[in-house]
Amino acid sequence: MNENPHARALLLVAKGRVEGLAQSESDWLTAHLEDCDSCNEHARRTDRALRALRTAAVSLPADLASRTQFRVRLRAMELREREPKRRMLWLACAASWVFGIASAPFVWRVFEWFGELTGAPKLILEIGFGLWWTIPALFAVIVLLLESARHPGEPEWMKPDRSRELAARRN
Amino acid sequence: MGPAVTFSTLMGDETKTIARGLQRRDPDLLDRLIEQYEYRLFRYLMYITGDKARAEDFFQETWIRVLERGHQYDGKSKFEAWLFAIARHLVIDWQRTKKAQSLDALVDPQQEKPLQVADENAPSPVDHVLAREREEDVQASLRRIPAIYREVLILRFQEELQIEEMAGLLNIPVSTVKSRLYRGLDALRGAFQEGGA
Repeated sequence: MNENPHARALLLVAKGRVEGLAQSESDWLTAHLEDCDSCNEHARRTDRALRALRTAAVSLPADLASRTQFRVRLRAMELREREPKRRMLWLACAASWVFGIASAPFVWRVFEWFGELTGAPKLILEIGFGLWWTIPALFAVIVLLLESARHPGEPEWMKPDRSRELAARRN
Repeated sequence: MGPAVTFSTLMGDETKTIARGLQRRDPDLLDRLIEQYEYRLFRYLMYITGDKARAEDFFQETWIRVLERGHQYDGKSKFEAWLFAIARHLVIDWQRTKKAQSLDALVDPQQEKPLQVADENAPSPVDHVLAREREEDVQASLRRIPAIYREVLILRFQEELQIEEMAGLLNIPVSTVKSRLYRGLDALRGAFQEGGA
């Protein structure tokens, strides 16, 4: 417990606003504030400042909600248009993996035949066979990269006009 | 069943509904949320950026992110805490690209005039002037408070988030949130006393 009753009172004034007081603390503080003008004034100033903060108004820009709703709907449409393409891509990848697994023994035979033909070491053939499996993933990465290069997020025309802000600053 | 349990169940249902809607990118739900959180999100952005035009840009960007990343919201926490976290990250990302040191760097008192916030719905020119003066007084007082304290004060006393929710949103320990709140409260009292707001 704090030895100085005034310091304790100021601490409890803040604590009461920030996290709340226990009943015993609240009773003690009420009794102290009744007797101490300086601490009472401190509590009043704290409440005035908090009231000013709570009641502070901010005026909204005109049509902020409707402009945002319009922009969000456009973006949603754009995302919806892209979704089937992406789904097709993943389906193609999945199909490619399935065929890859089914054809693995035959592919390995081709690699073996190629090894016999060229005399390549078995390690090279095994690495080549391993890399064979990365082809669908590589294909998917290339397609995704191409797609994101074509659609880099939101189109520029949908973004809010920042020139407005710059113009306001200039004035 | 007590009222507190009922309220928390309702809130849980509401957040689950929002999570499901965001998963589907439900446009009607998004429209409703944009309207519902318009004032609170804009006010939060306004106070942490200190700039109306910038707050407006971040407001729109935040909702685009909500659309794109809605599937990440699981409905277990309050929607507004998740929403403010998105907005906050956008501001921080932007600030990093500008190589600023702190949220305060968003506002350069040497370059910018006090916020000129026009009251677009004011009923008369006199009310308009009075309201604007009051807003400017409050804004000016708030700008005397360091950004990290200003932010916790807004989240606690305007948005009425719980300290634990704030800790999650700000990604800091509960004890840090509390110490920022105590310091912020001191700064707030000083700022309003100085500014006479």
